[in-house]
Amino acid sequence: MMDLAFLDAPFTPACAGTDEPDGHALDALDAARPAMLGPQRALMPNLSEVQEHLKIVHGTTTLAFKYKSGVVVAVDSRASAGAYIASQNVKKVIEINQFLLGTMAGGAADCQYWQRYLGMRCRLFELNHKERISVAAASKLFQNILCGYRGYGLSIGTMVAGWDHKGPGLYYLDSEGARIEGNLFSVGSGSLFAYGILDSNYKYDMEFADAIELGRRAIYHATHNDAYSGGTVRVYHIDGKGWRRISEDDATVLHYQYNPGKK
Amino acid sequence: MADGAYSFSLTTFSPSGKLVQIEYALNAVAAGSTSLGIRAKNGVVIATEKKAPTILIDETSLQKICMLTSSIGAVYSGMGPDFRVLVAKGRKAAQAYFRIYREEIPALQLVRELAAVMQEFTQSGGVRPFGISLLLAGFDHAGPHLYQVDPSGSFVAWKANAIGKNFVNAKSFLEKRLNDEMELEDAIHTALLTLKEGFDGLVDEHNIEIAVVSDDKRFRILSPAEIKDYLAEVD
Amino acid sequence: MSISQYNGSAMIAMTGKGCVGIAADRRLGIRNMTKACDFKKVFQVNDKILVGFSGLATDLQTLEQRLRMRCNMYKLREEREISIEAFGNLVASMQYEKRFGYYFVEPVIAGLKADNSPYLMSSDIIGAQCFKDDFVVAGDTAETLFGMCESVYRPDLGPEELFEVLSQCLLSGVDRDCLAGWGATVYIMTPEGVRETHLKGRMD
Repeated sequence: MMDLAFLDAPFTPACAGTDEPDGHALDALDAARPAMLGPQRALMPNLSEVQEHLKIVHGTTTLAFKYKSGVVVAVDSRASAGAYIASQNVKKVIEINQFLLGTMAGGAADCQYWQRYLGMRCRLFELNHKERISVAAASKLFQNILCGYRGYGLSIGTMVAGWDHKGPGLYYLDSEGARIEGNLFSVGSGSLFAYGILDSNYKYDMEFADAIELGRRAIYHATHNDAYSGGTVRVYHIDGKGWRRISEDDATVLHYQYNPGKK
Repeated sequence: MADGAYSFSLTTFSPSGKLVQIEYALNAVAAGSTSLGIRAKNGVVIATEKKAPTILIDETSLQKICMLTSSIGAVYSGMGPDFRVLVAKGRKAAQAYFRIYREEIPALQLVRELAAVMQEFTQSGGVRPFGISLLLAGFDHAGPHLYQVDPSGSFVAWKANAIGKNFVNAKSFLEKRLNDEMELEDAIHTALLTLKEGFDGLVDEHNIEIAVVSDDKRFRILSPAEIKDYLAEVD
Repeated sequence: MSISQYNGSAMIAMTGKGCVGIAADRRLGIRNMTKACDFKKVFQVNDKILVGFSGLATDLQTLEQRLRMRCNMYKLREEREISIEAFGNLVASMQYEKRFGYYFVEPVIAGLKADNSPYLMSSDIIGAQCFKDDFVVAGDTAETLFGMCESVYRPDLGPEELFEVLSQCLLSGVDRDCLAGWGATVYIMTPEGVRETHLKGRMD
């Protein structure tokens, strides 16, 4: 008979503490984190099958870029499950704290949970160090978490944008463990459409109004051309005073604004 | 058709431009027993002689009129075995049409199918033309129809017509009797009279065959009892 | 993703009192990429027959062209217009002809019979016919469209009301469908003729 006793035993995450280099006691917090599957993982019927059921935000368009006076973050608001539109009112910009924003692409639950967790960790950093966490440090924390869960089926493609002592900061991270610094990123099924607009119009030295408009327009084009992106185009801006929500426009209203001649 | 050294068409033009094989086929038709048809206002009747060459034959086993669809039937003059081939092909064509449209094939469409088969047999290698002419009775969306199809593959719609032995006399008899107001019952009487006119001997319910299709769109071969009643009416 | 959802589509047909209608979206996509917002999916066969196809665009066009050929041949041969009943059966038998290499298309047929009473038929991809007297739906989120029709449809609607109901059902339906929408077209058929109306819809 197979020994299934391990199913009853309390589980200890295989890599507990590995994302916590300075060794603060986070056991109480870890209790709220999803237990990583040890040998049980082998008993899961089919990881990719389960993943399909879990994935709500399949397609998305998110973008963020640095320019001379800050960071622009723009996203759509559609959540889909297959061809079905689950919601047109999703908040895909996650407000980690006053100076940090995260974007959401991939699995909705994965992004929401881990970015809220990241927010908590950033707050703890602030309390411990009496200064705000840098974008680099925050994104590194996040990368460590994601690396710890690599291969467990998380689905996250995110940009962490913010403002710190160095000025604007922008990193791309994903559930495969990547962490890339850059001036301009777009993530999601509609990202190629957004890149088409961004790459041909982006200049680091652009003015505030042009930067905002570029972000909005790139997301609008993605909502029009990508089936899995749509709903509302939300634009955020980050500068030395923290982030601000700039605008929220219905994608169809934008379509008729940008194409006045069309029927 | 058949491959090989002899798979050339046997139906070839004579120097004067005739296809004598087809003329011979028509001779076979003219030598066959008389068949006739009349289109009335509300239906069609077809009738034929069914004279057995000897009294030794069981007459009830002979059948010269065949149903092709529930609303279309045909009679022939000429060679019986050739008729059976065409009946089989006609029924198949009608069912193929029905399978596609879930609707009965119109009489004209079935006539075309049969005429196409008969034409093909005048041009194909290794075969001879059919030795029969057909009279086809049908009732469809466009009303009652009487068609004749010949061994050449040509077809004509008639108000009334006769084929086979004595067809010339029968036709002139029909010409005199025909009028556009004729009802089906009158047409049946006229058909019987025409048959009797050219009949060698005494007509009875066993040596002729009659079928009708009326505006109920049901093609029906009359039973000997019914024929007997009609015969009593015309006497 | 199923090949039936490769291009995306949504379609509804409904009967009214002495009238019928088909509403279809206008999107042509390649998977997630929207290629055109003016793609034709509904065709008028004659004064009495409307047919719409949802599914794979290439098969839609091929089947429509082959059907048109068959109807033209029918008209020449029989010297009459094909009846809608015969047309419905023709479509289904042409589909089943390709039983083992089928058209990825779900046809929807609406029209008027000889006595001008409504006729409605839908078929699956291999020609199983479904005759209804209220409405039929097809497309990549047929469930959503069904829900709209179930709650909004009423029998014996006039042409104007039928137009409204069809429009509302389709537009609301495609608002829950990633792969369909980007505008719509509604065809209303009455014994007097066919009216084609383009609708504005969400463009995302």
